[in-house]
Amino acid sequence: MTVVPTEAETRPLVAEPSAPRRPFSALNLVIDIVLLLFCVLMLLPLLFLISNAFKTPQEILAWPPTLIPHDPIVSNFTAVLTTTPLLRWIGNSALFATLSTICIVATSSVGGYIFAKFKFRSLHAIFILFLATAIVPFEIYMIPLYFQAQQLHILNSIWGLLLGYMVMGFGIFLIRQNVEQTIPDELLDAARIDGANELAIFVLIVLPLLRGALAALAVLAFFQAWTAFAWPLIVGTTKDSYTIEVGLALFQTGFTIDLGRLSAASTIVLVPSVVLFAILRRNFVRGITATGLKE
Amino acid sequence: MLARRQWLFAMAALLPILAIFAWVRFYPIEETLRMSLHEWNLISKTRPFIGFANFQELFGDELFLTALFNTTVIAFGTLAITIPVGMGIAALINYRLGSRLAGVFETTTFIPYIVPLVPAAMAWKWIFDARLGPLNAFLSLFGISPLSWLFDPVLSVICVIVLCAWQAIGYAVLIYVVGFRNLPTNVFEAAKLDGASGLQAFWHVAVPLLRPITLYVSVVTLISGFNVYAQAYVLASDAQGAPGRQVRVLVLDMLENSFRNYRVGYAASEAVILLAIVLLLTLVQFSLLRERGAR
Amino acid sequence: MSREHKSERPAGITRTAIFGATLGVALLGSSVSVLADQITVWSGYPEMAPFYQHVAEGLKAQFPDLTVDVEAIGLRDHEKRVALGISSQNAADVIELATSSATRYMQEDLLQHPPADVASYVQDPANFDKYFSDAASYNGQVYGAPLFRGQSALYYNTDMFKAAGLTEPPKTMDDYTKYAAKLAQRDANGNLTVSGWSMRLSGGGQGIAEKFWINMFQYGGNIVVQQPDGKWKMTLATPEGHKNLAQYIQVVHGDKSDTIEAPADSDAFERGQTAMFIRESWVIGDIAKKAPDLKYATSTLPMGSIVSPVNLFVGSDQHSAEAWAFIKAATSPENQLWMLENVGWLPNRANLDYTEILKKTPQFAAFVQLPKDYKFFQLPNIGPADEFLTRVAAKLTDDFADASLLNNDAGIDAALKSASDDGAAVLDRAGILAK
Repeated sequence: MTVVPTEAETRPLVAEPSAPRRPFSALNLVIDIVLLLFCVLMLLPLLFLISNAFKTPQEILAWPPTLIPHDPIVSNFTAVLTTTPLLRWIGNSALFATLSTICIVATSSVGGYIFAKFKFRSLHAIFILFLATAIVPFEIYMIPLYFQAQQLHILNSIWGLLLGYMVMGFGIFLIRQNVEQTIPDELLDAARIDGANELAIFVLIVLPLLRGALAALAVLAFFQAWTAFAWPLIVGTTKDSYTIEVGLALFQTGFTIDLGRLSAASTIVLVPSVVLFAILRRNFVRGITATGLKE
Repeated sequence: MLARRQWLFAMAALLPILAIFAWVRFYPIEETLRMSLHEWNLISKTRPFIGFANFQELFGDELFLTALFNTTVIAFGTLAITIPVGMGIAALINYRLGSRLAGVFETTTFIPYIVPLVPAAMAWKWIFDARLGPLNAFLSLFGISPLSWLFDPVLSVICVIVLCAWQAIGYAVLIYVVGFRNLPTNVFEAAKLDGASGLQAFWHVAVPLLRPITLYVSVVTLISGFNVYAQAYVLASDAQGAPGRQVRVLVLDMLENSFRNYRVGYAASEAVILLAIVLLLTLVQFSLLRERGAR
Repeated sequence: MSREHKSERPAGITRTAIFGATLGVALLGSSVSVLADQITVWSGYPEMAPFYQHVAEGLKAQFPDLTVDVEAIGLRDHEKRVALGISSQNAADVIELATSSATRYMQEDLLQHPPADVASYVQDPANFDKYFSDAASYNGQVYGAPLFRGQSALYYNTDMFKAAGLTEPPKTMDDYTKYAAKLAQRDANGNLTVSGWSMRLSGGGQGIAEKFWINMFQYGGNIVVQQPDGKWKMTLATPEGHKNLAQYIQVVHGDKSDTIEAPADSDAFERGQTAMFIRESWVIGDIAKKAPDLKYATSTLPMGSIVSPVNLFVGSDQHSAEAWAFIKAATSPENQLWMLENVGWLPNRANLDYTEILKKTPQFAAFVQLPKDYKFFQLPNIGPADEFLTRVAAKLTDDFADASLLNNDAGIDAALKSASDDGAAVLDRAGILAK
């Protein structure tokens, strides 16, 4: 399980505008068209959803379905916002995702650094154990974890949600690889000779060098919690404690008929997700590709 | 002396993390294994030990076998779409790397991977709707009579596969783009000199060289496919008054056995089966890679 | 690690942090202010929410500071949260639960006992028939108060009946098949556009078995029957079961008056996509809301109906005085009539005067003015009732879709036997199968 340092690390993944352009050719045009069509196809479901959110109840039931609302209305949005605590659910999700991110970044940075730079056999055994948990899907131990949350009386709360998402085995692995590749032992030894203590070395030297990797991990962790479903579904049983995913899912089983409102609620959820992704895209892409590079 | 001090620092720093891992990972995983050998109905005070009786029952349980079958079909079905499409699109994007559009393509294909699942599934639910959905409207242009996508036992599984693949493709594209970028360019040039066309070079040079990436993406896709739940929950849930066929998948069956049928031990034994599948897949990945490394 | 991105990465993480922290602070602030005098009501029927609000309004005089938080979600999710909530002592103050689901909690004594005055209020035959007070009790201990019941009748579209030359509702099960064939409408290609009889062929597992049982009851049969020793005997693979499944197959694959994929249930009825279907009384309230112009009537079923009593229980000892006061108010005659008129669920309170409501909405007659010998059955009050019905339904769903069962008596018997075996296995495991 060694990570091959790849060029992804050194080359920007998302093409830079300054990259050299190939001369125009018919083949390029065809490829662009194919790719463009494919992209439209990928986005189409989401565009449908947004379009439905603006349709009148009559138009939603019309056949054949219309792609662009004839007579756009916003009453679906106002109805959803006044009848469901949608904003509260979005807030719950954001808070949960933020706290989870903080925990995961903290534990992964410390753990990754220790495992990378303190080569003791006992530590290596612990590392293997941590790594093994990364392979086990969450769904497998979700039910016992639920009973732990129950004993701690933290069901229906952010803390209950957080219990399942405090650590990430893969995060420790990611940071360990990063430390090994980017922080030379000599740098740390030099600091030790200068009399710096271990804590100072970690905080003042290692952490700043890890900013990039930690940012990528942070975005990964944030979206992992933001899109979590099964765990929030069992931990939250009161309306106030739902995350946005759960709130929406229960909303749809409770009010199946009102497609317009469902679409409006979904649109309200989609927008912050896509915007956040747009802002953090680069970090996100880096984090995701890093997951793929363990060979 | 120095080593000892470093070891102490390492252990002190690691201890809290180890504690958290023990608390929210090791212990619940161990509990799952233990509970699978017990009978417990969620509310009674006793939990008798019953050996492997749960597992024996599982293999005669038609609902479980259906769930196992559906889940396997979904996992491999998703794989069958994701790998070729992901690789093909990545190859095209890689070909157009110089273009300004490459970044747009990459980001766009990736959006389905980051949007919250419930709203996305909601959009697909409408697309598949037998009476109102655009899919049947589109097919009717070609004279195909409307299909009942979400009601037919085979079609409803296909619907879940399409939704899963739609989400997984963005990830595969991203990883493959990195893979393509890291291929040694001289290999292609050599192939071209030998008179190979672009397509031939792709098939005979790139595809074999990308094998490790393909293997990695396959295992990740399969594992997340075996954990499918939210997709089936939204697309084919059994809401009151909203007929639709329930696509029974492993995680759904597990949660239903735990919290609806009050059979926590039995559900734990299902989790153990799921764990065994995931471990097996990971093992296959490693052994294939090792085999390749040995050569 | 690359050097060129250094400047923007920290910006990314800072943005995340600011975004989260702002929201976090806002939320922590809001969640601290939990009201002291608040009770929560959990319901599995979203349409009941206005009723509970109405009851809460009425309580204002007695408890001016009390706020009532009504959380009504889909039934399956509601049952799941009740299971989780009760087992973790995190349940709502007031819980609405059908007897069939509540039995296991009463067995394990996990629901709050009412104070003596509430217990005697429930047991007073002037308030509730013994049948209903028993449904909210276990082994003589009262646990809750009867609220409403699910009871079925036929809904039919009178315009469509007229167009098909039918003047009377169907009287026998044979009539149902014939009517369905006459009422079905098809387009030029022969595709079904309006189903003659929406039979509930897919959907929630338990619902399928329930609907199958209702139809089977019209032939005098039951899926399972309790023996004198308290154990349960499977009676699905019987001549009655055979007639019933054969009828499903005839309608779906023989006459094609209904299909698996046809829009079904109340949605379809309200949109004019089915001519008739069997359902509980809440559909009347639903139609009034969603399709007020629909011309329809109701009729009692040939033999009798299911009764599934739904009760209110108290799930937490935090605010039990307020919770029981709420329950008493919800079961008062005025509120019970309000519920029938505005929501459509049938009140369980005894001695109510329905004349006013019947004048306004004659469709309720098929639920409250019943033939003398009308019979009733109820879902078994056993712990694994849900699992039992789900297993049977899983088999039935496949059978409904199996065209090879048409005119295939041996096939139908084998199908029933297999469904019956699955049900028996659940009962056997719980130790309640009569051998």
